[in-house]
Amino acid sequence: MAGVGPAEPLIRLRGLTKRWGRRTALAGIDLEVAARAIVGVVGPDGAGKTTLLRALAGLLEVEATEARVLGYDLRDDVTALKARVGYVPQVWSLHRNLSVEENLRFTARLHRLPEAEFRRRSDALLERTALAPFRDRYAGALSGGMKQKLAVANALLPAPELLVLDEPTAGIDVVARGELWSLLAAARASALIVISTSYLDEAAGCDTLVYLDEGRLVASGTPDALRARVGLECYRAWGGAARDIACAARRLGYVSGARAAGRYARVDVPAARSPGDREVLHDLGALPDVRFAERIPVDMEAALLALSAGHGGRAA
Amino acid sequence: MSEPIIRTRGLSKRFGDFTAVDALDLAVEPGTIFAFLGGNGSGKSTTIRMLIGILEPTAGEIRVDGIDVVHTPRRVRDHIGYMGQKVSLYQGLSLRENVEFYAGLFGLAGAALERRWGALRERFDLAAAEGRRPEDLPAAIRQRAGLALSMLHEPRVLFLDEPTAGVDVRSRSLFWDVIQEEAAGGTTVFVTTHFVEEADSCDWVAFIDAGKLIADAPPEALRERFSDGYRVTVRGGDPRAAAAALTAAGLAVESAPDAVRGTAPGLPPGALAELERLRARQPDAHVEVQQPAMTDVFRRVLTDAPRPA
Repeated sequence: MAGVGPAEPLIRLRGLTKRWGRRTALAGIDLEVAARAIVGVVGPDGAGKTTLLRALAGLLEVEATEARVLGYDLRDDVTALKARVGYVPQVWSLHRNLSVEENLRFTARLHRLPEAEFRRRSDALLERTALAPFRDRYAGALSGGMKQKLAVANALLPAPELLVLDEPTAGIDVVARGELWSLLAAARASALIVISTSYLDEAAGCDTLVYLDEGRLVASGTPDALRARVGLECYRAWGGAARDIACAARRLGYVSGARAAGRYARVDVPAARSPGDREVLHDLGALPDVRFAERIPVDMEAALLALSAGHGGRAA
Repeated sequence: MSEPIIRTRGLSKRFGDFTAVDALDLAVEPGTIFAFLGGNGSGKSTTIRMLIGILEPTAGEIRVDGIDVVHTPRRVRDHIGYMGQKVSLYQGLSLRENVEFYAGLFGLAGAALERRWGALRERFDLAAAEGRRPEDLPAAIRQRAGLALSMLHEPRVLFLDEPTAGVDVRSRSLFWDVIQEEAAGGTTVFVTTHFVEEADSCDWVAFIDAGKLIADAPPEALRERFSDGYRVTVRGGDPRAAAAALTAAGLAVESAPDAVRGTAPGLPPGALAELERLRARQPDAHVEVQQPAMTDVFRRVLTDAPRPA
């Protein structure tokens, strides 16, 4: 049976496992994604992010109790699934010696897109990626950001139902990152997007996050839900010499970490140890050179830190 | 201001027709953390390789800790520590053997080595890894070991090329704690990163794009120039008292139905003390300071800068 029925989730994994010889890259992943969204896959290097993405794109033989993507079983023939998936690997893999337009045309041929449809879609994508003025440029001569935009445009050309992107924004500048994300935001209307990233602001911008560590799914949920789960209080102590303030804050018995960030020191207090925010604010306010102390919502960094501490991540 | 410990003038590197680094003038104050930011291929690594004397510039001058790096590149090596994007630990040797090898290069041995390595081993949580070979260690621990090794001989200047690329948030956070501690102890740290929010952990930020410097200032100065500025929101308490306090703090005040808001390009001197006084007088008032995110600052730096096609 092929294709996803109206009530079936787009992704449904039970005990998804991938072994490379004796090494277990994925150790029993359970994951369900019901509707179109941007799903962020985060976690340390070697956590299994790339393996999970490749499995979802139908590129790996896997073991599982259940492994359905867009209604296709990953353990069966996945040829039909692959036709519905766009995959952007970590290593840039377009043709350097073809122009921007020729790269797109090549993909269109592979997917047997009629010429008129190719024109319509590629014009729209080139417009949206601001690559239109460069359509005749060799792909190899594009800047890092433009190459990545082309890679994503190329994956979007066949109008996939699932778009899988492996760290597409690594190392590219903030403007290009912003442009890529607007492209993804637009694509979310027609596709489920699964993206891995090491940027905290991008993780915060996903609809759902999946945190992997050592081949296991440690936590998943909306960024807000993950932040809410974290038993941590975050504070900022503003003052003259933020680095000295951070040093002094670390000496408070209940503080788990403090670091200067611009004009303030960021101070983390585990909820279990916290004497309450009034007391913490009072103590921080009494440190030398502190002019103003405030409690702030738990941010993505703190949330992921706490997740990594609760699992495999070693104490600092 | 003290004499810069790193200084370049007109530093350039061309590979054939391609100009990787274009007439760079850099000045780094001793004991500061200098962030060198830019995307892939912007010229960051080329610059760092010239600064540490392993790549000869096409033109320009470099002085690091009083040494003319262009003419006497080897002399700079005792003064600096370097961690590259690929951590260079010898496979087949245990981490401990790597430590002894590197220590030997700098004439560090005996009790001095035990003291220094002991402290680093504890700081980087490497005790369990000491007897293992780098190839058997997870990437994050290898990276920690690499950073520890680069500072083993207590160099005056530490060059770190993307030390936080590909490491988990926990190691990233630890790295920045250590970098700040080293700087507090007087070490100068020259660090490249593509995580622009890390600029806030540094004293000075230079941003390179297509081989040219397009920003060179303390992070706060960039924030003041390239963002909509700080926003302070006061909810609850007496709105008139809040408005008066924000005005006294030097902010432009606007009233919203549920809050009083103030904005300013930077936080004026005395503003923070004013906010603290407001909260002391109005315990029911919730005061929140919003700082413009560095990603937004750099987005504007890049869009404002003239860019080559």
